[in-house]
Amino acid sequence: MVTLKIDEVQVQVPEGATLLQAAQKIGVWIPTLCHHDSLTPTGGCRLCVVEINRGGVSHVVSSCVYKAEEGLTVLTATEKIRGIRACIIELLLSEAPEAKVIQDLARDLGVKPVKRFAPRNELCIACGRCVRACSELVGMSAIGFANRGYEKLAVSPFYEKAEDCIGCGTCAEICPTGAIKLIDIEEGETAVAHDGTKVQGPARIIQNWKVNLKLKTCKECGETFAPENQLAYFSKEAGLSKDFYDICRHCRT
Amino acid sequence: MKGKPFTHLEKLEKSGQASLLPERIKISVGFASCGLAAGAQTVLDAFIKGIKKRKMDVQVQKAGCNGMCHQEPLVDVWIPGKVRLTYGKVTHDEVQAILAAIKLDTIPEGALLQTSLDPSADEPCCENVPDSKSHAFYCKQHRVALRNCGIIDPENIDEYVALGGYEGLATALSEKTSMQVINEVKKAGLRGRGGGGFSTGLKWKTCRKARGKQKYIICNADEGDPGAYMDRSILEGDPHAVIEGMLIAGYAVGASQGVIYVRDEYPLAIQRLEIAIEKARENGIIGDSVLKSDFSFDIRISRGAGAFVCGEETALIQSVEGECGEPQQRPPYPAVQGLYGCPTIINNVETLANVPALVKNGAKLFSAVGTETSKGTKVFSLVGKVNNVGLVEVPMGISLREIIFDIGGGIPGDKAFKAVQTGGPSGGCIPESLIDMPVDYDKLAETGSIMGSGGLIVMDEKTCMVDVALYFLRFLEDESCGKCTPCRVGVRRMREILEDICEGRGTIKDLALLEKLAGTIKDSALCGLGRTAPNPVLSTLKYFKDEYLAHIKDKKCPAGVCRELVKYSIDKKACIGCGACLKACPSAAVSGEKKKAHKINLKKCIKCGACSEICPVGAVLT
Repeated sequence: MVTLKIDEVQVQVPEGATLLQAAQKIGVWIPTLCHHDSLTPTGGCRLCVVEINRGGVSHVVSSCVYKAEEGLTVLTATEKIRGIRACIIELLLSEAPEAKVIQDLARDLGVKPVKRFAPRNELCIACGRCVRACSELVGMSAIGFANRGYEKLAVSPFYEKAEDCIGCGTCAEICPTGAIKLIDIEEGETAVAHDGTKVQGPARIIQNWKVNLKLKTCKECGETFAPENQLAYFSKEAGLSKDFYDICRHCRT
Repeated sequence: MKGKPFTHLEKLEKSGQASLLPERIKISVGFASCGLAAGAQTVLDAFIKGIKKRKMDVQVQKAGCNGMCHQEPLVDVWIPGKVRLTYGKVTHDEVQAILAAIKLDTIPEGALLQTSLDPSADEPCCENVPDSKSHAFYCKQHRVALRNCGIIDPENIDEYVALGGYEGLATALSEKTSMQVINEVKKAGLRGRGGGGFSTGLKWKTCRKARGKQKYIICNADEGDPGAYMDRSILEGDPHAVIEGMLIAGYAVGASQGVIYVRDEYPLAIQRLEIAIEKARENGIIGDSVLKSDFSFDIRISRGAGAFVCGEETALIQSVEGECGEPQQRPPYPAVQGLYGCPTIINNVETLANVPALVKNGAKLFSAVGTETSKGTKVFSLVGKVNNVGLVEVPMGISLREIIFDIGGGIPGDKAFKAVQTGGPSGGCIPESLIDMPVDYDKLAETGSIMGSGGLIVMDEKTCMVDVALYFLRFLEDESCGKCTPCRVGVRRMREILEDICEGRGTIKDLALLEKLAGTIKDSALCGLGRTAPNPVLSTLKYFKDEYLAHIKDKKCPAGVCRELVKYSIDKKACIGCGACLKACPSAAVSGEKKKAHKINLKKCIKCGACSEICPVGAVLT
């Protein structure tokens, strides 16, 4: 176990725990954006920064990545940290002003938008949760990042149809800003794909990855419940019989 | 040769001596990237052809860059037992003149520099030619990392050995334990020359102590700062110095694998390194049993792919591992957990090039040069508005003024010095009032700049400091990896503000916003690129605020650089009607009769500044 101090309060955590986990243990709120408990932390958004003291020198570090050290002093709400958080939200607001989660954080932290800059016209803030989720949780690595710097965006390989996408929708679920547009259409409905072609339902369309996948229809009730590709992948991984997913889970019970 | 007798190296030494100081006349042509850009290939070809035609018995070979880049193409004529003469700006005609003089047993005229090859000679060989002790460019230099550059043929390992090469490695392997080597480096006070200035000995000690069977030495040859080419010159002119440094480092920390990460934009450096590695392997210097000892070390080259950020050590490691180069928050530090999760030393090219001499000659000699906290020498690329553009190596503690005015020969065209930019995109601008300060890691940091990798960009009265800040921000915005918000968005926003200021749209509120953004980015960016990105803006704001205010309040660019804010006009009283501007103008915007005051039509004017440059009486106003 490792003992450290967060905002003057002593806390004990297991070896390998992060400062964020230590803070959460004692109910100290640290805002996060690119962090997700199920994913490897990356320390990119810098919203979760805290001040630590190492050898008499103060350092600003991402608490989601920094591992707890014996005897460490951590300060989560100094003037410097609060100033940084406010400025980061201002920057994110200028980049993606339509993102509700950023608007909410701005409201919570008392930050007003700086009306001087043109936004990016993208909801994606390059937090990487979708990329990490697809790689670590789903295991498909169907999407990645393109470009460097301000143009950095989560995209499908070469901006073309993400061939390995199984349409599970984890990316859309885990995206904090709602940048990933996923729609399901039923039998008889049509929608227009990214390239202008018509897609016949039942289908799942994920515009960002230029993907449209046929949805499986339950043999019993006729409801559509998941993309066929996703079910094929699950069957293979779990060693299930080919017709296992012919019946949806509601009808199975 | 000191150290345990390594007989196969003795053979190389003998052969190297014969090649370095042959009994016949030798001509070596400066063949680094700077020389090649100036036409060294033509000069070399002319020598080879001329020698064949005149049926002369003269040895011709290539050398690296001797630092006098402003004199390229450079040629050395080695007269056996007598003198080595350096000639600059050599043309095809001059090649013929040199050969003709040699054929007549006379000394070719016009040498810039002489170096005696006769240890017993009291007097210099040529009366009017300065030697390195009296030559303005060289007398204040102290060449250690650049000791062999311009002298040896970088593709010939024998010549490297003949000048004491691999003696340091031999000494370390035969006379010292790895801890003794580390202590020697620590005692000497060698600090990272890539810009970080961290104690090399301390880094090696940390890595030595770190747990792990496999350890790595990485040479960081990504050299990304615009205008900096110190590492390129060392790699092109003396690649074995870096290899030897890596071998010694590997022995010290217990690493058996080395990687040289070279930026892909240095093809000649990569070529010279490949040749050097091959030669070293052939001679048992790299491989399973280095110099027939128990120590094994292999080296491979890993090429960059066009990212400044990959000079940052954690991003570099990502790149070597095949991932996209993105910095990672530390800890863990690479010395403990680096390449493939193993303890890894990452040292800069110049740092490693210093190691062989340090180990060979001892810490005391190394630390006899320099200041209290910055020992040894530093290589600087002296570029910009300076007469003697080139690569210089000086003892730490020399003043910037001495580098710029004594070694550099001052500002061309008698223009006034304005500032010197140090540390590249992570550094700042130092005004005239501060250039008497000693060059030293800590002293430079006090001014708001940094030592950096060694780029020194000299600026004159015609440089707009706001434009300089904009230049560096554009560079950093382009090179930002995009992972962290402060750098990805913050640097972009700073650039937008600077652009507004330079194009006449700036407001006074922008200065406060710039300072606020700069503060946040400095404090919270994930890596060194981001954290130091505000430095050019902050330092120019500190020392040249009046220029910012002129751009914002008066909508004027005092230096006449920012196009949108410059309006060219001709002072009627000063104009002598010579017509030079009319002839020079590419867009026919100037009109006027001979000996009468000329006029500029602003509608046609493209603001190139040609008229201002060519006017003999300074009658063109901005």
